Amino acid sequence: MILRGALSIFGRDLIVLRRSLFSELLSVVASPLTLYLAFGVGLKGYISQVEGVPYGVFIAPGLISMTAVLAAFEESAWSMWFHRRVQKTIEEYRVSPITVYDIVIGKLISGFAQGAIKGVAVALVIFVLTPFSFPLRNLGLYLLFISLGAMIFSCLGTICGTVIDKPENIGRIQAVVIMPLIFMSGIFFPLSSYPPSVLPIISLLPTTALFEGARSALLTGSCGPLHLAILLVTAVIFFILAVVVFDRKIEE
Amino acid sequence: MSPALIIQGLTKRYGSLTAVDRFSLELRQGTVFGLLGPNGAGKTTLIKMLTTLMRPTSGDAFIQGESIVTAGKRVRALIGVVPQENNLDRYLTAQENLVLHARLHGMAPRDYLPRIDRFLELTGLSSRRNDFPDTFSGGMQRRLVVVRALIHLPRLLFLDEPTTGLDPQSRRALWEQLRTLRSEMTIFLTTHYMDEADSLCDRIVIMDHGASLVDGSAQELKERYAHAHIYELELRRDGDRYEELFQLLPQVTSLERERDSFRIVLRDEESLKPLMDSIQSGDIRRICLVEPSLEEVFLDLTGKMVRE
Repeated sequence: MILRGALSIFGRDLIVLRRSLFSELLSVVASPLTLYLAFGVGLKGYISQVEGVPYGVFIAPGLISMTAVLAAFEESAWSMWFHRRVQKTIEEYRVSPITVYDIVIGKLISGFAQGAIKGVAVALVIFVLTPFSFPLRNLGLYLLFISLGAMIFSCLGTICGTVIDKPENIGRIQAVVIMPLIFMSGIFFPLSSYPPSVLPIISLLPTTALFEGARSALLTGSCGPLHLAILLVTAVIFFILAVVVFDRKIEE
Repeated sequence: MSPALIIQGLTKRYGSLTAVDRFSLELRQGTVFGLLGPNGAGKTTLIKMLTTLMRPTSGDAFIQGESIVTAGKRVRALIGVVPQENNLDRYLTAQENLVLHARLHGMAPRDYLPRIDRFLELTGLSSRRNDFPDTFSGGMQRRLVVVRALIHLPRLLFLDEPTTGLDPQSRRALWEQLRTLRSEMTIFLTTHYMDEADSLCDRIVIMDHGASLVDGSAQELKERYAHAHIYELELRRDGDRYEELFQLLPQVTSLERERDSFRIVLRDEESLKPLMDSIQSGDIRRICLVEPSLEEVFLDLTGKMVRE
């Protein structure tokens, strides 16, 4: 069966996730909810509308997307690192009759699933606790953006978990690369705030394509084709990179 | 019957260092094969290449006729691997570890579930099937790793130092487990324990610096390579006088004494007569030839220097 190995590895990750689902969700919901309350509610009196929508509505899609892609990154990075460096279970996978693609895809699906579950949890909490709402027909397009974003961040996490040996360096990558890229991409402010000289560079960032595209998809049901194209190309490049890097590094 | 394993000039180089140097070997089906060597001899590198974890720099090996270089996936379906370190998944129970392994090998539940039951029963782990490996003793974890490697009934089982760190009881239990398998599969094990190799293996290769030094059964190696002629002599009286006397004999190359018992190493077979002539027959309580051990062969071939 195609991807038998990938699905077996994904099945393993689901068993483990099921055991700690409640505590995982509790911890993952806390951070975006705090940000929403701090910025969306706290600044409501100071910032009424951004690009024609209330500020709370402006930041909500980005917070949900951010939760999903960060969860995908963290699951892939830490899981790969842990299986490679601590448990050495990657070696057990590699002496089974499956391919490198199975291992990488299995971890990608796990990262993606974690992102989806945690993104949905944050979305539900935001919907329940705040007046944020959106047309349901827009959900499909929004999920397409989130899926591509989760895949990109899952690939990035897989690469980090594969090449980084010291665990603290995964945290550093997250603090120095991932978070700035996310915050630069207009989750909390409109891109029109950037100076015109910087804007073309910011617009080409995959994170900008992800957060801008996802927000537009959820709130208006439309998206710029450039955003989708950037995400698709980035996802393909990162997937190939993840497979090549894993294949090379793991043999050392 | 085709050989279980054919290794043809397998080589692994890391820059200027040659970890395995044109290693060749052929193993018959059903052999229990032991690979011995000091630390850094290249044993683990060789196993990693044979289990497709590492690509060889040159050469090839064939497991049941399948090339490790060009048919890695088919090779992996034929082998079971017990690595040097326990790599059980600590977030899965014992049973879940085994199920995951079976699924990675494409087995259906109707095939793997009865087999898991049987193996857990045989190894005394049945009552702990729903416990996490972290709660197991070292010996139990090791037995579980062996069971995991057997679930898909491999044709060739690789064990890399399977009993390192185990207490004597756990080692013996694992030996028993391996003895029951010898009729069903070919076993390739590396070990630092000479008694383990002596007790389990039909055939032994001692390797060092990436190359094979000797090849044969434990008995053959002992007969071929243990040159020392060691005797244990127990006297009735005059231990001090005889000690002085033995020290003067040119045929005695080494002498150890504990009260009236001596361990005497003679230069060659002809040295026995001068030794016997020097002792009054009434003073001898017991004299016997000491069988050379595999450890002496090993040290003779690989030296006594401690390796990193």
